[in-house]
Amino acid sequence: MNAFQIRYRNTQGTLMRIMNAVSRRALDLHYVHAEAAEHDHQVTLVLEVNQKQVGQLYREWYAIADVIHAGSGPAQATEWNSPHPPAGVTIDEPRPAARA
Amino acid sequence: MLKGADIVLQCLRAEGVDLVFGYPGGAIMPLYDALDGSGVRHILTRHEQGAVFAAEGYARVTGKVGVAMATSGPGATNLVTGIADAKMDSVPLVCITGQVRSALIGTDAFQETDVFGVTLSLTKWSRLVRTIDEIPEAIAEGFHWARSGRPGPVVIDIPTDMLKAKQEFSGPVKFTPHARPADAKADGGFTDTIVALLQQSSKPVALVGAGAKISGAIPELRRLLDHLNIPTFATVHGLGAVPQQAAYYLGMVGMHGTRAANTALHETDLLLVFGARLDDRVTGDPSRFAPHAKIVHFEIDPAQLDRVRPCNLPVIGNLADTIPAFDAELRRHALPDFAAWRSVACGPERAELDPRGLAQPTIRFLDELFGRLPKDSVILADVGQHQMWAAQRYHADSPRGFITSGGLGAMGFALPAAVGVQLAKPDTCVLCVSGDGGFQMNIQELATVHRLGLPIKMVIIDNKYLGMVRQWQQLFYERNYAETDLSDNPDFVDIAKAYKIHSFRVKEDVMREFPVSQETGDQIDRFLHSPEPELLVFDCAPEANVFPMVPAGAALSEMLLEEEPTQ
Repeated sequence: MNAFQIRYRNTQGTLMRIMNAVSRRALDLHYVHAEAAEHDHQVTLVLEVNQKQVGQLYREWYAIADVIHAGSGPAQATEWNSPHPPAGVTIDEPRPAARA
Repeated sequence: MLKGADIVLQCLRAEGVDLVFGYPGGAIMPLYDALDGSGVRHILTRHEQGAVFAAEGYARVTGKVGVAMATSGPGATNLVTGIADAKMDSVPLVCITGQVRSALIGTDAFQETDVFGVTLSLTKWSRLVRTIDEIPEAIAEGFHWARSGRPGPVVIDIPTDMLKAKQEFSGPVKFTPHARPADAKADGGFTDTIVALLQQSSKPVALVGAGAKISGAIPELRRLLDHLNIPTFATVHGLGAVPQQAAYYLGMVGMHGTRAANTALHETDLLLVFGARLDDRVTGDPSRFAPHAKIVHFEIDPAQLDRVRPCNLPVIGNLADTIPAFDAELRRHALPDFAAWRSVACGPERAELDPRGLAQPTIRFLDELFGRLPKDSVILADVGQHQMWAAQRYHADSPRGFITSGGLGAMGFALPAAVGVQLAKPDTCVLCVSGDGGFQMNIQELATVHRLGLPIKMVIIDNKYLGMVRQWQQLFYERNYAETDLSDNPDFVDIAKAYKIHSFRVKEDVMREFPVSQETGDQIDRFLHSPEPELLVFDCAPEANVFPMVPAGAALSEMLLEEEPTQ
């Protein structure tokens, strides 16, 4: 698995374009987290990819108008296997569906 | 105070737009209401797909941004094929779509579609306008992305209430792009490397793609190729970039390329690629594509590198910059003598076979048509067998003279695109070649042709089949002609007459005479020089095939040169 950090301007659709480069290749996405980073935003993706796909992803991400930087490194398994949703988040009881 | 619709039109004018193609509807009505007196001429097509293809035709022949307009929902979704086509073929295109009013967005309102989402993966850039303030900036930025770098499609989706709202308007704005890593350009160091590669090479070749035309670097490219004097070939979008009479030019490469081009590409030890994506129709089996070659790839879009086959040296940048730099350095060095390789690769034993078999009359017909065209005519080909025959027989030197849907292969492209081309080039002869299948996909645009009196010369190569699919069924599916029979086609001559367009039929028998009779030649001349729109239906043998052909998944060296004799 590889972890990718992509820095981008948080304009309309930019995050979706970054994700689309992944989904159009039907890659397994193990983890995704997007957050503000100084003046920009950053998304971290953990993907199962081969070397050829890494090159394709980089080039496709860089072709997106508001991507600033893309970098990668080996994924740390413990870091990406945390519970989902995060343990601190509570989920409200679902409301009963309205019936006609 | 100006309405949002007026601001849109003023911003379009500021971008140099004086012609748009579209189809009105509910959400975009305020924009149509503002057209009169805006300085923007609107061309009403009879389907939104016709509008977007017409805008593409305009853009492809001029190099300017084409603009298409449509309403929300079905109007916008009907643009999608054209948007995908523009993405594949690097066509600068801006689509402006009306959207339901802001308060209704996300409610599944009448004629609401998430156009931004639908087109996200097909566009280079897009924007759903949220306030009237955003309109000038969205249009300026959209046009910037459409025309910059590798050109492509942009969608600007504007809710109808933004078009109706009023606002103080201080004038169109300029968009200043931020620096991007993708803008990194090749430094001068690449030239030394290529010179060294050439000096080590004994069988170099050059491949020319659409980027050569888009960059506007045709004179520089031709000067470089003349100096290199190595076997050279073109993709379907590179046709016209290389002078046809050049002794080193081998024609089109790829699935239906010439045997000389495909053979040279298979044998080369150094491949110089100028502005081509190297897609699968060019490479054949990528693992056996140019198996002995080092590849130098001149390309403006880094995303196109290494997609199918890794290159040894990427040269990122606009060909208008990189070709002159390369050429200047090259002239400072002595190159090996490639005469022996040239005489093999460009020699008579690899020349094309004379057309034979069932396709012979159709090929002769295209030769007659193309040979009688005025200089600088523009030929549009739809998608299918006729497209490949036309590409094979195109022998003009006009860089934007052959237009087709290459990457997407969208049937129905040619007729509406011809509308855009003819409007952009009113004094140019525009010849639109379609098949009987593709012509019916946008046949309604005959009404647009008639309304505007555009003197487009339309040809249908009528084999009463979806011919290319049928050819594959014949060769690879044991002649199981599943759902490709169009023998119940309407009479196209009668249909054209219903649209008040003069039309006539030519039987393929007249092309069996060689040279053609005076009467047939005169008929073709009259057709090509008529000041009115005309439709010529050419009866083609139902089972005529396109050769050479590289079967899907095969190497270029495994091309089929002609029909296997049947037992």
